[in-house]
Amino acid sequence: MSGFEKYLTSRMTGEDSHTLAAFKKNGGYATLERALKEMQPAEVIEVVKASGLRGRGGAGFPTGLKWTFMPDPAKDPRSRYLAINADESEPGTCKDRIIMDEDPHGLLEGILLACYAMKCEASYIYVRGEYRHQYDRTAAAIVEARAAGLIGKNILGTGFNCEIHMHKGAGAYICGEETGMMESLEGKRGHPRPKPPFPAGFGLWGQPTTVNNVETIFNVPFIVEKGSKWFRTMGSEASPGNFLVGISGNVNKPGVYEAPLGTNAKVLLEADHFAGGVSEGRQLKAWFTGGSSTGMMPGSTVDVAMDHDSVKAAGTMLGTAAMIMLDDTQCVVRAMQIIARFYDHETCGQCSQCREGCQWLHQIFKRIEEGQGREGDIDLLTSIGNGMAPGKTICALADAAAIPAHQMIKHFRADLEEHIRDGGCKINKTGKCAAGHSHDAPATEKAEAQA
Amino acid sequence: MTKITLNGRELEVDASKPLIAACDTAGIDVPRYCYHPGLEPVGSCRICQVEVSEGGRPARVMAACRTQVTEGMVVNTEAAGAHDARRECLEFLLKNHPLDCPICDKAGECTLQDYSFQEQQAASRSTEPRATLEKRVDLGEVIMLDQERCILCTRCVRFQEEVTKKPELTNAGLASNSYITTFAGRPLTGNYQGNLADVCPVGALTLKPFRFQARVWNLEKSSSTCAECSRGCSISVEVLRRGDVKRIRPVFNPDVNQWWMCDTGRFSFPEVNDAERLTGGLIASGDDLMGVTTGEAIRHAAGVLASSSKTALLASPFLTVEEAAEVKVLGEAVGAELLFVSPDPNELKDDLLHTGDPCPNRNGLEQAGFKAISPADAATRVTGADAAILVGERILKLLAGNSLGSTKLVTLDTAACLASGVEACISIPFYVEKAGTWINVDGHIGRLTIARPIPASVQPLERSLVELTKSLSRAGASV
Repeated sequence: MSGFEKYLTSRMTGEDSHTLAAFKKNGGYATLERALKEMQPAEVIEVVKASGLRGRGGAGFPTGLKWTFMPDPAKDPRSRYLAINADESEPGTCKDRIIMDEDPHGLLEGILLACYAMKCEASYIYVRGEYRHQYDRTAAAIVEARAAGLIGKNILGTGFNCEIHMHKGAGAYICGEETGMMESLEGKRGHPRPKPPFPAGFGLWGQPTTVNNVETIFNVPFIVEKGSKWFRTMGSEASPGNFLVGISGNVNKPGVYEAPLGTNAKVLLEADHFAGGVSEGRQLKAWFTGGSSTGMMPGSTVDVAMDHDSVKAAGTMLGTAAMIMLDDTQCVVRAMQIIARFYDHETCGQCSQCREGCQWLHQIFKRIEEGQGREGDIDLLTSIGNGMAPGKTICALADAAAIPAHQMIKHFRADLEEHIRDGGCKINKTGKCAAGHSHDAPATEKAEAQA
Repeated sequence: MTKITLNGRELEVDASKPLIAACDTAGIDVPRYCYHPGLEPVGSCRICQVEVSEGGRPARVMAACRTQVTEGMVVNTEAAGAHDARRECLEFLLKNHPLDCPICDKAGECTLQDYSFQEQQAASRSTEPRATLEKRVDLGEVIMLDQERCILCTRCVRFQEEVTKKPELTNAGLASNSYITTFAGRPLTGNYQGNLADVCPVGALTLKPFRFQARVWNLEKSSSTCAECSRGCSISVEVLRRGDVKRIRPVFNPDVNQWWMCDTGRFSFPEVNDAERLTGGLIASGDDLMGVTTGEAIRHAAGVLASSSKTALLASPFLTVEEAAEVKVLGEAVGAELLFVSPDPNELKDDLLHTGDPCPNRNGLEQAGFKAISPADAATRVTGADAAILVGERILKLLAGNSLGSTKLVTLDTAACLASGVEACISIPFYVEKAGTWINVDGHIGRLTIARPIPASVQPLERSLVELTKSLSRAGASV
């Protein structure tokens, strides 16, 4: 069958996998107990460092190394926090969702281990506002764990204290940016902070803070339990371990799948135990490697190993490993317009380039899709993207908006030119997508209509 | 101190401040919108791009307001890459800007105009419709907001958060639909609202009393000192065509008011634009007052004072140090105690600037030997004398409401005295029409300069005082 060891999804079976009873039956919290009683915090960090675990939130930063950025508590007596980024809002991404849904205690065990390792007194889980069910499941797990003496004071009688709090977002994509998330947690508008200072020095309420993604932390108990050598038997040398791949779009079996990092995208797309091929046997026109901000690649490039470095070598990013597949009945210009509209709607509006640039990109892609494209629009799009990124703004949202535009021009210039030449889209004449949804009227368009 | 190389010059700069502050100290102009030296930098407008090289690494274009200076840093504010980045930023900022400069009160002192001109970024490649937002949002008694002109620098929001510490403004909405508003649309409150228009780099926040009053390039601006309390904030008095004062704005003074001033001072200028002001002089003639020249009024006054056996002298707390010296000479000539009218502290005192003491030169007058006296006690002094000299700007207002009996009055004020015993009224200039010195509550010198010419029929107070003293000695000799 699959031919690889699954661990991330190993406990996600049965109706009650989210309960403490089921979790404990599968050996849950045993690793925590062993670590608290037998390991020093520094040893936990060492194991994670040695495992080569890389962040699953998009950037792929080595997790163990990140943990060492926290100041030495002997020299810095401030409170220390772990913030868990569960504001999973990258279009196409839905991997953290299944963790909170089906194995919330696994996440809590990871949080407790990380807090023990970094000597954090509390952890905050920032949950995407739309994830109500996931929020409820995780909140219920916290109640159960607290009642079992696993959260709070003197955990398992070891003298280790740790609180876990949850916070619901209000639907802003930008609150998934780590400093925007911290501002939001503090009760402010989710405007990302300029860096430096970095969260490890000046994070939540100005205290040393580490921000980790849900899936990243979820890996930790397995690594501590089975060791870094075991972890490195999976995945690639530079990107060890398994990851959760969300495959959506025109595929036969959309869903979240566990696979070793480095699994070929073609396998993930076509194998029966993964997405099972493009819908109705059609051709793949385009695909996103890791969420909307990585941009679209031509369908012909789908033969690539899905790990950080291989995807980078192919000219894009692994991101959150959310593969969105578009078959040849889809219009890539339309898809690009929808993405541009998303960023136009979601930029926080702080930085001039991002606020105005996201709107401008959207306006031009929309015109092209609707048959109002002009000669020179493509060059203008390139130039606008260059004005926004890289590194020209406080956070990376401008990059996330500019990269898809650049990728579009690089790989699908012919589609854009065809739209400009032929006066619009041949596929989406109705103004609706293939699924029949109307995609009109985000706020900026409404404002324009009023004008 | 940290050593950096700035545009080829080696400098020692304060490492606790961002790079843009070092540029300011060195006199190098770096464009800025969100950065204000009196507020925490946020680095959001992205216009202050300069080229920076650290530790021998290749130069990068960075936002100067969020860059910490480090030892050996090499900075070039005029690098081609920096100008390119600024031009890009300006094109974005102007994409939705209404470009209504011809009807904008900020035109002429708008940095969106200035930097567009400076960076030669006038043309836009955008053909998209410009955003239409609210152009007249009434934010209370002082400020009108034009959301279309706003570039969301958030200086106004931060001014309230950091300076007055009473936040009322916020950035609402998202993305290109962001806008500045007050919480629940409530009007702004407090005595420092006018500063919001000063910190606004564009024409988004305008002062209601200044809207459509003048083109700023027609205003003649003179540095002076605010008259409304003993803080004596440094101000710019801005006069339109040698006539009315149209605007008063704070001038940076690190020792006194930093960049700010209160609305009481800012909007005090109707006081000095009084169309009914006294010019020349008035003397008693039967039951009425007769208009005469200043010289005639002085001679009449001298006659009155010469025949008085007991004369009281009450000075205004608005007298300059220089005027007070002449008043002292006159006081000695008539044998009067040196007193200045000091009203009770008012309710305007706050933690920021306003002292609540409405006497701008209390310190100067006390140093000159004048004693403070309440308006009521001052009135008692007047009624207990044969004649009284009331001298200085607003002295009559300060004594208003107190009976001055039938004592013969010689007044030197910008207004006429209408009390029953008035013998002579001599016109004087307003504080914006004279040069002189006030000493503030902390002992700092505040200079007054002539922001507008005195009317021909009004002469400087010192000159009137000298002439009155001289006339008096002549009249005294002839009695």
